[in-house]
Amino acid sequence: MKTRIKEFRARYDLTQEDLARKIGVRRETIVFLEKGKYNPSLKLAYDVAKALKTTIDELFIFDD
Amino acid sequence: MKDKMTAIVGAGIALMAIFTFAFYLLAKETIELIDIASISIVIILITTSIYLIWDRVKNLKAGLPAQDERLKIAGYKAGYYGFIAAIWSSVGSNMGSIILFDQELRGGLVTAAVVLISGIVFMVTYIYFSRKGN
Repeated sequence: MKTRIKEFRARYDLTQEDLARKIGVRRETIVFLEKGKYNPSLKLAYDVAKALKTTIDELFIFDD
Repeated sequence: MKDKMTAIVGAGIALMAIFTFAFYLLAKETIELIDIASISIVIILITTSIYLIWDRVKNLKAGLPAQDERLKIAGYKAGYYGFIAAIWSSVGSNMGSIILFDQELRGGLVTAAVVLISGIVFMVTYIYFSRKGN
């Protein structure tokens, strides 16, 4: 799974820590999400998308 | 608030464990070879506990949660491995003692082995999974 979190984060000039604080997760979780090393729950995916003012399918790209 | 309480209680328990361990070492006249294994496991357990508490406090100070869904999942996975280790060590510790030293372990020692081995497996796998991602 690939994500566009880094791209959207840069768009809103947010650091990993800012985003983590907004969502209520630890900074390492954002790092793992950006690297595509962690598959988030639907709720976390929704929270990240909401914080970055986008949708889940815009943010997460699933490889078939 | 709950996270802060958990960190405070954790720090208190770690301090009590350190004092208990120090008193045990001071009271012991001679340390045998078999004691060294359990002593080193206790040292690893205390060190990793302190590390985990420090990590939580660091995040709380930065205004971040001490635990999130990723760490909860890591905890569940580590708990599973700790449970498997407890089952195997309850059988394996006694069998190992018979094979290596040709004597059965007392019940108390088997209990100690189960607690120490499952504890260390839990700690090591928790740290591994929390640093790994999925």
